[in-house]
Amino acid sequence: MPTADTLAPPAPTQQRAIVEAHGISKQFGDLEVLTNIDFSLAPSEVVCVIGPSGSGKSTLLRCLAFLEPYDHGSVYIDGQLLGYEDRSGQRVRTSEKRVDEVRAPVGMVFQHFHLWPHRTALENVTEALRLVNGLSRRQADTEGIAMLEQVGLADRAGHFPESLSGGQKQRVAIARALAMKPRVMFFDEPTSALDPELVGEVLDVMKKLAADGMTMVIVTHEMGFAAKVADRVIFMDQGRVVESGPPATLFRQPKSERLQQFLNTWRERHID
Amino acid sequence: MFEILLNHYPVLLKGLTTTLVVSLSAIALGLVLGVLLAFGLTSRYHLVRWPCGLYRSFWRGTPILLQLLLVYYLLPEIGIEIAPISAAILTLTLNTTAFQAEIFRSGISHIPAGQIEAARMAGISAWQTRRRIIMPQVFRLTLPPLTNEIITILKNSSLISVIAVTELMRVSEQIASRTFQPLETYLAAAVLYLAVNLVLARISAYLERRMAGGLATE
Repeated sequence: MPTADTLAPPAPTQQRAIVEAHGISKQFGDLEVLTNIDFSLAPSEVVCVIGPSGSGKSTLLRCLAFLEPYDHGSVYIDGQLLGYEDRSGQRVRTSEKRVDEVRAPVGMVFQHFHLWPHRTALENVTEALRLVNGLSRRQADTEGIAMLEQVGLADRAGHFPESLSGGQKQRVAIARALAMKPRVMFFDEPTSALDPELVGEVLDVMKKLAADGMTMVIVTHEMGFAAKVADRVIFMDQGRVVESGPPATLFRQPKSERLQQFLNTWRERHID
Repeated sequence: MFEILLNHYPVLLKGLTTTLVVSLSAIALGLVLGVLLAFGLTSRYHLVRWPCGLYRSFWRGTPILLQLLLVYYLLPEIGIEIAPISAAILTLTLNTTAFQAEIFRSGISHIPAGQIEAARMAGISAWQTRRRIIMPQVFRLTLPPLTNEIITILKNSSLISVIAVTELMRVSEQIASRTFQPLETYLAAAVLYLAVNLVLARISAYLERRMAGGLATE
Protein backbone atom coordinates (compact mmCIF):
# COMPACT_ATOMS: atom_id res chain seq x y z
CA MET A 1 0.00 0.00 0.00
CA PRO A 2 1.37 3.44 -0.84
CA THR A 3 2.53 5.55 2.06
CA ALA A 4 2.07 9.25 2.65
CA ASP A 5 5.65 9.92 1.52
CA THR A 6 4.77 11.91 -1.57
CA LEU A 7 1.65 13.71 -0.53
CA ALA A 8 3.08 17.19 -0.56
CA PRO A 9 1.97 19.08 -3.66
CA PRO A 10 4.68 19.88 -6.18
CA ALA A 11 6.66 23.06 -5.59
CA PRO A 12 5.40 25.89 -7.73
CA THR A 13 7.48 26.39 -10.81
CA GLN A 14 7.52 29.30 -13.22
CA GLN A 15 5.05 27.60 -15.51
CA ARG A 16 3.15 25.05 -13.46
CA ALA A 17 2.86 21.63 -15.03
CA ILE A 18 -0.67 20.52 -15.87
CA VAL A 19 0.25 16.91 -15.25
CA GLU A 20 3.07 15.91 -12.96
CA ALA A 21 4.10 12.47 -11.74
CA HIS A 22 6.74 11.59 -9.17
CA GLY A 23 8.21 8.13 -8.82
CA ILE A 24 5.15 6.20 -9.94
CA SER A 25 5.29 2.43 -9.98
CA LYS A 26 2.75 -0.15 -10.97
CA GLN A 27 2.68 -3.90 -10.59
CA PHE A 28 0.32 -6.47 -12.12
CA GLY A 29 0.73 -9.42 -9.77
CA ASP A 30 4.47 -10.14 -9.69
CA LEU A 31 5.15 -8.22 -12.87
CA GLU A 32 6.45 -4.71 -12.40
CA VAL A 33 5.14 -2.76 -15.40
CA LEU A 34 6.21 0.73 -14.31
CA THR A 35 9.24 1.50 -12.23
CA ASN A 36 9.80 4.86 -10.58
CA ILE A 37 8.59 7.12 -13.38
CA ASP A 38 8.86 10.89 -13.19
CA PHE A 39 6.83 12.88 -15.65
CA SER A 40 5.91 16.47 -16.22
CA LEU A 41 3.78 18.17 -18.83
CA ALA A 42 3.78 21.92 -19.35
CA PRO A 43 0.82 23.81 -20.82
CA SER A 44 0.66 23.54 -24.64
CA GLU A 45 3.37 20.91 -24.63
CA VAL A 46 2.98 17.86 -26.88
CA VAL A 47 4.71 14.77 -25.56
CA CYS A 48 4.87 11.53 -27.51
CA VAL A 49 5.61 8.32 -25.64
CA ILE A 50 7.22 5.63 -27.78
CA GLY A 51 8.62 2.21 -27.08
CA PRO A 52 8.21 -1.46 -27.88
CA SER A 53 5.01 -3.35 -27.04
CA GLY A 54 4.85 -4.16 -23.35
CA SER A 55 7.21 -1.34 -22.43
CA GLY A 56 4.58 0.19 -20.13
CA LYS A 57 3.72 3.26 -22.17
CA SER A 58 -0.04 2.64 -22.22
CA THR A 59 0.02 1.72 -18.53
CA LEU A 60 1.81 5.00 -17.83
CA LEU A 61 -0.93 6.94 -19.58
CA ARG A 62 -3.63 4.95 -17.80
CA CYS A 63 -1.95 5.61 -14.44
CA LEU A 64 -1.74 9.32 -15.25
CA ALA A 65 -5.53 9.18 -15.81
CA PHE A 66 -6.03 6.85 -12.81
CA LEU A 67 -7.76 4.29 -15.02
CA GLU A 68 -5.10 2.05 -13.46
CA PRO A 69 -4.41 3.02 -9.85
CA TYR A 70 -0.66 3.45 -9.45
CA ASP A 71 0.90 1.60 -6.50
CA HIS A 72 3.58 4.08 -5.43
CA GLY A 73 4.45 7.68 -6.12
CA SER A 74 2.04 10.44 -6.96
CA VAL A 75 0.27 12.01 -9.89
CA TYR A 76 -0.87 15.61 -9.78
CA ILE A 77 -3.34 17.13 -12.20
CA ASP A 78 -3.22 20.89 -12.00
CA GLY A 79 -1.50 20.63 -8.62
CA GLN A 80 -4.07 18.24 -7.11
CA LEU A 81 -3.16 14.71 -6.08
CA LEU A 82 -5.06 12.20 -8.21
CA GLY A 83 -6.65 9.08 -6.74
CA TYR A 84 -5.34 9.23 -3.17
CA GLU A 85 -5.69 11.42 -0.12
CA ASP A 86 -4.07 11.65 3.26
CA ARG A 87 -6.25 10.35 6.10
CA SER A 88 -4.53 10.46 9.51
CA GLY A 89 -1.11 10.04 7.96
CA GLN A 90 -2.25 7.07 5.86
CA ARG A 91 -2.63 7.31 2.14
CA VAL A 92 -6.07 6.04 1.07
CA ARG A 93 -7.99 5.91 -2.19
CA THR A 94 -10.29 8.87 -2.76
CA SER A 95 -13.90 8.49 -3.82
CA GLU A 96 -14.74 8.03 -7.50
CA LYS A 97 -16.34 11.47 -7.36
CA ARG A 98 -13.10 13.05 -6.20
CA VAL A 99 -11.19 11.23 -8.95
CA ASP A 100 -13.67 12.70 -11.46
CA GLU A 101 -13.15 16.19 -10.03
CA VAL A 102 -9.35 16.05 -10.11
CA ARG A 103 -9.07 14.61 -13.60
CA ALA A 104 -11.80 16.84 -15.07
CA PRO A 105 -9.18 18.79 -17.08
CA VAL A 106 -8.16 15.57 -18.86
CA GLY A 107 -9.79 14.18 -22.00
CA MET A 108 -8.87 10.75 -23.29
CA VAL A 109 -8.92 8.96 -26.62
CA PHE A 110 -8.49 5.19 -26.72
CA GLN A 111 -6.95 2.78 -29.19
CA HIS A 112 -10.28 1.00 -29.77
CA PHE A 113 -12.37 4.21 -29.80
CA HIS A 114 -14.89 2.87 -27.29
CA LEU A 115 -17.77 4.82 -28.71
CA TRP A 116 -21.13 3.92 -27.19
CA PRO A 117 -22.75 1.84 -29.92
CA HIS A 118 -26.34 2.60 -28.91
CA ARG A 119 -25.79 6.32 -29.33
CA THR A 120 -25.39 8.24 -32.59
CA ALA A 121 -22.18 10.13 -33.34
CA LEU A 122 -23.81 13.33 -32.07
CA GLU A 123 -25.19 11.65 -28.95
CA ASN A 124 -21.75 10.24 -28.19
CA VAL A 125 -20.47 13.81 -28.17
CA THR A 126 -23.39 15.35 -26.28
CA GLU A 127 -23.97 12.67 -23.63
CA ALA A 128 -21.52 14.11 -21.10
CA LEU A 129 -22.46 17.69 -22.00
CA ARG A 130 -26.00 16.90 -20.87
CA LEU A 131 -25.25 14.57 -17.96
CA VAL A 132 -22.20 16.32 -16.50
CA ASN A 133 -22.52 19.93 -17.62
CA GLY A 134 -26.32 19.94 -17.40
CA LEU A 135 -26.87 21.44 -20.86
CA SER A 136 -30.30 21.23 -22.45
CA ARG A 137 -30.65 18.97 -25.48
CA ARG A 138 -30.67 21.96 -27.82
CA GLN A 139 -27.57 23.56 -26.28
CA ALA A 140 -25.76 20.24 -26.22
CA ASP A 141 -26.66 19.51 -29.84
CA THR A 142 -25.37 22.92 -30.96
CA GLU A 143 -22.06 22.33 -29.17
CA GLY A 144 -21.92 18.73 -30.34
CA ILE A 145 -22.34 19.70 -33.99
CA ALA A 146 -19.59 22.31 -33.57
CA MET A 147 -17.30 19.61 -32.16
CA LEU A 148 -18.12 17.22 -34.99
CA GLU A 149 -17.43 20.05 -37.46
CA GLN A 150 -14.03 20.49 -35.88
CA VAL A 151 -13.18 16.89 -36.78
CA GLY A 152 -14.90 17.12 -40.17
CA LEU A 153 -17.83 14.87 -39.33
CA ALA A 154 -20.85 17.14 -38.93
CA ASP A 155 -22.53 15.29 -41.81
CA ARG A 156 -22.31 12.02 -39.86
CA ALA A 157 -24.04 13.38 -36.74
CA GLY A 158 -27.03 11.04 -36.98
CA HIS A 159 -25.04 7.91 -37.79
CA PHE A 160 -24.53 5.09 -35.32
CA PRO A 161 -20.90 4.05 -34.75
CA GLU A 162 -21.44 0.75 -36.58
CA SER A 163 -21.92 2.63 -39.84
CA LEU A 164 -18.74 4.70 -39.47
CA SER A 165 -15.25 3.78 -40.65
CA GLY A 166 -12.49 3.28 -38.08
CA GLY A 167 -11.03 6.69 -38.82
CA GLN A 168 -14.43 8.34 -38.48
CA LYS A 169 -15.07 6.52 -35.19
CA GLN A 170 -11.79 7.79 -33.81
CA ARG A 171 -12.56 11.33 -34.92
CA VAL A 172 -15.94 11.12 -33.16
CA ALA A 173 -14.09 9.87 -30.07
CA ILE A 174 -11.79 12.90 -30.28
CA ALA A 175 -14.82 15.20 -30.63
CA ARG A 176 -16.42 13.47 -27.61
CA ALA A 177 -13.33 14.16 -25.50
CA LEU A 178 -12.98 17.74 -26.78
CA ALA A 179 -16.61 18.53 -25.99
CA MET A 180 -15.78 18.60 -22.29
CA LYS A 181 -13.24 21.38 -22.96
CA PRO A 182 -10.24 19.53 -21.56
CA ARG A 183 -7.01 21.38 -20.89
CA VAL A 184 -5.00 18.29 -21.71
CA MET A 185 -5.69 15.35 -24.01
CA PHE A 186 -4.35 11.83 -23.55
CA PHE A 187 -4.17 9.65 -26.66
CA ASP A 188 -3.56 5.94 -26.14
CA GLU A 189 -2.31 4.57 -29.49
CA PRO A 190 -5.07 6.39 -31.35
CA THR A 191 -4.16 5.01 -34.77
CA SER A 192 -3.00 1.48 -33.91
CA ALA A 193 -6.39 -0.12 -34.60
CA LEU A 194 -6.87 1.65 -37.93
CA ASP A 195 -6.31 0.50 -41.50
CA PRO A 196 -3.19 2.28 -42.83
CA GLU A 197 -5.18 4.47 -45.23
CA LEU A 198 -7.35 5.78 -42.37
CA VAL A 199 -4.45 6.78 -40.11
CA GLY A 200 -3.86 10.09 -41.90
CA GLU A 201 -7.31 11.59 -41.20
CA VAL A 202 -6.90 11.00 -37.45
CA LEU A 203 -3.34 12.32 -37.37
CA ASP A 204 -4.46 15.44 -39.28
CA VAL A 205 -7.02 16.21 -36.57
CA MET A 206 -4.36 15.71 -33.90
CA LYS A 207 -1.87 17.94 -35.74
CA LYS A 208 -4.51 20.66 -35.89
CA LEU A 209 -5.12 20.32 -32.16
CA ALA A 210 -1.39 20.61 -31.47
CA ALA A 211 -1.17 23.65 -33.71
CA ASP A 212 -4.05 25.23 -31.77
CA GLY A 213 -2.03 24.86 -28.58
CA MET A 214 -3.70 21.82 -26.99
CA THR A 215 -1.57 20.12 -24.36
CA MET A 216 -1.24 16.46 -25.32
CA VAL A 217 0.31 13.18 -24.26
CA ILE A 218 0.32 10.70 -27.12
CA VAL A 219 1.30 7.07 -26.82
CA THR A 220 2.09 6.13 -30.39
CA HIS A 221 3.94 3.96 -32.87
CA GLU A 222 3.76 6.73 -35.48
CA MET A 223 7.40 7.89 -35.42
CA GLY A 224 6.96 10.28 -38.34
CA PHE A 225 4.12 11.99 -36.55
CA ALA A 226 6.07 12.13 -33.28
CA ALA A 227 9.06 13.66 -35.09
CA LYS A 228 6.89 16.37 -36.64
CA VAL A 229 4.45 17.23 -33.86
CA ALA A 230 6.06 16.43 -30.51
CA ASP A 231 7.91 18.99 -28.44
CA ARG A 232 9.37 16.11 -26.49
CA VAL A 233 9.60 12.38 -27.03
CA ILE A 234 9.87 9.84 -24.23
CA PHE A 235 11.28 6.42 -25.02
CA MET A 236 10.22 3.68 -22.62
CA ASP A 237 11.42 0.12 -22.23
CA GLN A 238 10.61 -2.47 -19.56
CA GLY A 239 8.60 -0.04 -17.49
CA ARG A 240 11.28 2.65 -17.33
CA VAL A 241 11.96 5.90 -19.13
CA VAL A 242 15.17 5.17 -21.03
CA GLU A 243 15.56 8.47 -22.83
CA SER A 244 13.64 11.64 -23.42
CA GLY A 245 14.21 14.86 -25.29
CA PRO A 246 13.31 16.87 -28.37
CA PRO A 247 12.46 14.58 -31.29
CA ALA A 248 15.32 15.86 -33.46
CA THR A 249 17.87 14.86 -30.82
CA LEU A 250 16.20 11.65 -29.81
CA PHE A 251 15.68 10.30 -33.30
CA ARG A 252 18.99 11.49 -34.80
CA GLN A 253 21.35 11.02 -31.89
CA PRO A 254 19.93 8.31 -29.67
CA LYS A 255 22.17 7.85 -26.66
CA SER A 256 21.07 4.49 -25.40
CA GLU A 257 21.75 1.25 -27.20
CA ARG A 258 18.14 0.16 -26.61
CA LEU A 259 16.73 3.19 -28.45
CA GLN A 260 19.23 2.77 -31.32
CA GLN A 261 18.12 -0.83 -31.61
CA PHE A 262 14.43 0.16 -31.49
CA LEU A 263 14.86 2.85 -34.16
CA ASN A 264 16.90 0.52 -36.41
CA THR A 265 14.16 -2.11 -36.24
CA TRP A 266 11.57 0.53 -37.05
CA ARG A 267 13.61 1.85 -40.02
CA GLU A 268 14.13 -1.65 -41.41
CA ARG A 269 10.38 -2.23 -41.35
CA HIS A 270 9.30 1.12 -42.71
CA ILE A 271 11.99 2.19 -45.20
CA ASP A 272 11.71 -0.64 -47.71
CA MET B 1 -62.23 -28.50 -25.52
CA PHE B 2 -64.17 -25.74 -27.32
CA GLU B 3 -67.21 -26.62 -25.30
CA ILE B 4 -65.26 -26.13 -22.08
CA LEU B 5 -63.90 -22.82 -23.36
CA LEU B 6 -67.36 -21.64 -24.36
CA ASN B 7 -69.21 -22.81 -21.27
CA HIS B 8 -66.67 -21.76 -18.68
CA TYR B 9 -64.97 -18.77 -20.27
CA PRO B 10 -65.90 -16.24 -17.54
CA VAL B 11 -64.22 -18.38 -14.85
CA LEU B 12 -61.31 -19.29 -17.10
CA LEU B 13 -60.75 -15.64 -17.99
CA LYS B 14 -60.86 -14.69 -14.32
CA GLY B 15 -58.23 -17.34 -13.61
CA LEU B 16 -56.17 -16.14 -16.55
CA THR B 17 -56.39 -12.56 -15.26
CA THR B 18 -55.07 -13.66 -11.87
CA THR B 19 -52.27 -15.56 -13.62
CA LEU B 20 -51.36 -12.45 -15.59
CA VAL B 21 -51.56 -10.10 -12.59
CA VAL B 22 -49.35 -12.35 -10.45
CA SER B 23 -46.85 -13.11 -13.22
CA LEU B 24 -46.53 -9.62 -14.66
CA SER B 25 -46.24 -8.04 -11.19
CA ALA B 26 -43.47 -10.48 -10.30
CA ILE B 27 -41.72 -9.89 -13.63
CA ALA B 28 -41.88 -6.10 -13.29
CA LEU B 29 -40.72 -6.09 -9.65
CA GLY B 30 -38.10 -8.72 -10.50
CA LEU B 31 -36.79 -6.53 -13.31
CA VAL B 32 -36.07 -3.64 -10.95
CA LEU B 33 -34.63 -5.85 -8.20
CA GLY B 34 -32.80 -7.99 -10.78
CA VAL B 35 -30.98 -4.94 -12.15
CA LEU B 36 -29.96 -3.91 -8.62
CA LEU B 37 -28.85 -7.46 -7.79
CA ALA B 38 -26.86 -7.60 -11.03
CA PHE B 39 -25.03 -4.43 -9.97
CA GLY B 40 -24.34 -6.14 -6.65
CA LEU B 41 -23.07 -9.27 -8.40
CA THR B 42 -20.71 -7.18 -10.55
CA SER B 43 -19.59 -4.88 -7.73
CA ARG B 44 -15.86 -4.54 -7.20
CA TYR B 45 -16.44 -4.93 -3.47
CA HIS B 46 -16.32 -8.49 -2.19
CA LEU B 47 -18.56 -7.54 0.74
CA VAL B 48 -21.31 -6.57 -1.72
CA ARG B 49 -20.73 -9.43 -4.18
CA TRP B 50 -20.77 -12.18 -1.57
CA PRO B 51 -24.30 -11.74 -0.11
CA CYS B 52 -25.68 -11.08 -3.58
CA GLY B 53 -24.14 -14.34 -4.80
CA LEU B 54 -25.62 -16.17 -1.80
CA TYR B 55 -29.10 -14.81 -2.56
CA ARG B 56 -28.80 -15.82 -6.20
CA SER B 57 -27.63 -19.33 -5.29
CA PHE B 58 -30.55 -19.90 -2.90
CA TRP B 59 -33.30 -18.74 -5.25
CA ARG B 60 -31.81 -20.46 -8.29
CA GLY B 61 -30.87 -23.61 -6.43
CA THR B 62 -34.14 -24.57 -4.74
CA PRO B 63 -37.44 -25.66 -6.36
CA ILE B 64 -39.96 -22.89 -6.83
CA LEU B 65 -42.69 -25.05 -5.27
CA LEU B 66 -40.62 -25.30 -2.10
CA GLN B 67 -40.00 -21.55 -2.16
CA LEU B 68 -43.74 -20.89 -2.41
CA LEU B 69 -44.49 -23.11 0.56
CA LEU B 70 -41.63 -21.64 2.60
CA VAL B 71 -42.77 -18.05 2.05
CA TYR B 72 -46.42 -18.95 2.63
CA TYR B 73 -45.80 -20.78 5.90
CA LEU B 74 -42.76 -18.86 7.15
CA LEU B 75 -44.17 -15.34 7.10
CA PRO B 76 -47.12 -16.05 9.49
CA GLU B 77 -44.58 -17.75 11.81
CA ILE B 78 -42.75 -14.45 12.18
CA GLY B 79 -45.96 -12.51 12.63
CA ILE B 80 -46.55 -11.33 9.09
CA GLU B 81 -50.02 -12.15 7.85
CA ILE B 82 -50.06 -12.24 4.10
CA ALA B 83 -52.78 -13.04 1.59
CA PRO B 84 -52.09 -16.03 -0.69
CA ILE B 85 -51.93 -13.83 -3.79
CA SER B 86 -49.38 -11.52 -2.12
CA ALA B 87 -47.32 -14.52 -1.02
CA ALA B 88 -47.44 -15.76 -4.62
CA ILE B 89 -46.30 -12.43 -6.07
CA LEU B 90 -43.59 -12.14 -3.41
CA THR B 91 -42.21 -15.62 -4.05
CA LEU B 92 -42.24 -15.33 -7.82
CA THR B 93 -40.59 -11.89 -7.52
CA LEU B 94 -37.82 -13.17 -5.25
CA ASN B 95 -37.31 -16.12 -7.58
CA THR B 96 -37.24 -14.22 -10.86
CA THR B 97 -35.01 -11.53 -9.32
CA ALA B 98 -32.25 -14.14 -9.03
CA PHE B 99 -32.71 -15.36 -12.61
CA GLN B 100 -33.06 -11.91 -14.12
CA ALA B 101 -30.02 -10.69 -12.18
CA GLU B 102 -27.97 -13.52 -13.65
CA ILE B 103 -29.19 -12.62 -17.16
CA PHE B 104 -28.26 -8.95 -16.61
CA ARG B 105 -24.92 -9.89 -15.02
CA SER B 106 -24.03 -11.82 -18.14
CA GLY B 107 -25.13 -8.85 -20.29
CA ILE B 108 -23.08 -6.40 -18.22
CA SER B 109 -20.00 -8.60 -18.63
CA HIS B 110 -20.36 -8.24 -22.41
CA ILE B 111 -20.03 -4.45 -22.35
CA PRO B 112 -16.39 -3.63 -23.17
CA ALA B 113 -14.64 -2.10 -20.16
CA GLY B 114 -13.33 0.63 -22.46
CA GLN B 115 -16.84 2.03 -22.97
CA ILE B 116 -17.14 2.46 -19.22
CA GLU B 117 -13.68 4.03 -19.02
CA ALA B 118 -14.65 6.44 -21.81
CA ALA B 119 -17.73 7.46 -19.82
CA ARG B 120 -15.74 7.89 -16.62
CA MET B 121 -13.09 9.95 -18.42
CA ALA B 122 -15.87 12.22 -19.73
CA GLY B 123 -16.82 12.82 -16.09
CA ILE B 124 -20.03 10.77 -16.24
CA SER B 125 -20.62 9.35 -12.75
CA ALA B 126 -20.57 5.62 -12.07
CA TRP B 127 -24.34 5.60 -11.52
CA GLN B 128 -25.09 7.60 -14.67
CA THR B 129 -22.75 5.31 -16.60
CA ARG B 130 -24.82 2.33 -15.47
CA ARG B 131 -28.10 4.03 -16.30
CA ARG B 132 -27.22 5.66 -19.61
CA ILE B 133 -24.38 3.62 -21.07
CA ILE B 134 -24.50 0.09 -19.68
CA MET B 135 -28.15 -0.82 -19.07
CA PRO B 136 -29.65 0.36 -22.39
CA GLN B 137 -27.21 -1.96 -24.14
CA VAL B 138 -27.74 -4.76 -21.62
CA PHE B 139 -31.53 -4.68 -22.15
CA ARG B 140 -31.01 -5.04 -25.89
CA LEU B 141 -28.43 -7.80 -25.53
CA THR B 142 -30.48 -9.79 -23.03
CA LEU B 143 -33.93 -9.48 -24.57
CA PRO B 144 -34.05 -13.13 -25.82
CA PRO B 145 -33.06 -14.72 -22.46
CA LEU B 146 -35.25 -12.19 -20.67
CA THR B 147 -38.23 -13.28 -22.79
CA ASN B 148 -37.47 -16.88 -21.84
CA GLU B 149 -37.51 -15.92 -18.18
CA ILE B 150 -40.83 -14.06 -18.56
CA ILE B 151 -42.38 -17.13 -20.22
CA THR B 152 -40.93 -19.38 -17.51
CA ILE B 153 -42.46 -17.24 -14.76
CA LEU B 154 -45.81 -17.26 -16.50
CA LYS B 155 -45.71 -21.05 -16.69
CA ASN B 156 -44.35 -21.42 -13.15
CA SER B 157 -47.24 -19.31 -11.89
CA SER B 158 -49.36 -22.46 -12.33
CA LEU B 159 -47.65 -23.73 -9.16
CA ILE B 160 -49.17 -21.03 -6.99
CA SER B 161 -52.41 -23.02 -6.99
CA VAL B 162 -50.84 -25.01 -4.11
CA ILE B 163 -51.22 -22.00 -1.82
CA ALA B 164 -54.87 -21.60 -2.83
CA VAL B 165 -54.56 -18.79 -5.34
CA THR B 166 -57.36 -19.17 -7.87
CA GLU B 167 -55.39 -18.67 -11.02
CA LEU B 168 -55.80 -20.39 -14.37
CA MET B 169 -54.47 -23.78 -13.25
CA ARG B 170 -56.60 -23.93 -10.11
CA VAL B 171 -59.69 -22.82 -12.04
CA SER B 172 -59.01 -25.60 -14.56
CA GLU B 173 -58.72 -28.17 -11.77
CA GLN B 174 -62.05 -26.98 -10.36
CA ILE B 175 -63.76 -27.18 -13.76
CA ALA B 176 -62.25 -30.62 -14.44
CA SER B 177 -63.54 -32.01 -11.15
CA ARG B 178 -66.99 -30.53 -11.76
CA THR B 179 -67.40 -31.57 -15.38
CA PHE B 180 -65.48 -34.85 -15.26
CA GLN B 181 -63.76 -33.73 -18.48
CA PRO B 182 -60.13 -33.35 -17.32
CA LEU B 183 -58.51 -33.79 -20.73
CA GLU B 184 -60.68 -31.18 -22.45
CA THR B 185 -60.32 -28.75 -19.55
CA TYR B 186 -56.55 -29.01 -19.35
CA LEU B 187 -56.30 -28.72 -23.14
CA ALA B 188 -58.33 -25.51 -22.91
CA ALA B 189 -55.98 -24.21 -20.19
CA ALA B 190 -52.98 -25.17 -22.34
CA VAL B 191 -54.41 -23.18 -25.24
CA LEU B 192 -54.79 -20.11 -23.01
CA TYR B 193 -51.22 -20.40 -21.60
CA LEU B 194 -49.88 -20.91 -25.12
CA ALA B 195 -51.81 -17.93 -26.50
CA VAL B 196 -50.43 -15.58 -23.86
CA ASN B 197 -46.88 -16.85 -24.29
CA LEU B 198 -47.08 -16.58 -28.08
CA VAL B 199 -48.17 -12.97 -27.75
CA LEU B 200 -45.24 -12.30 -25.37
CA ALA B 201 -42.80 -13.97 -27.78
CA ARG B 202 -44.13 -11.85 -30.66
CA ILE B 203 -43.77 -8.64 -28.65
CA SER B 204 -40.21 -9.65 -27.77
CA ALA B 205 -39.35 -10.45 -31.40
CA TYR B 206 -40.77 -7.08 -32.45
CA LEU B 207 -38.74 -5.23 -29.77
CA GLU B 208 -35.63 -7.15 -30.75
CA ARG B 209 -36.01 -6.06 -34.37
CA ARG B 210 -36.71 -2.46 -33.39
CA MET B 211 -33.73 -2.23 -31.05
CA ALA B 212 -31.27 -3.96 -33.37
CA GLY B 213 -29.75 -0.66 -34.58
CA GLY B 214 -26.56 0.49 -32.95
CA LEU B 215 -25.79 -2.69 -31.10
CA ALA B 216 -22.57 -3.73 -32.79
CA THR B 217 -19.51 -3.35 -30.61
CA GLU B 218 -16.21 -2.43 -32.13
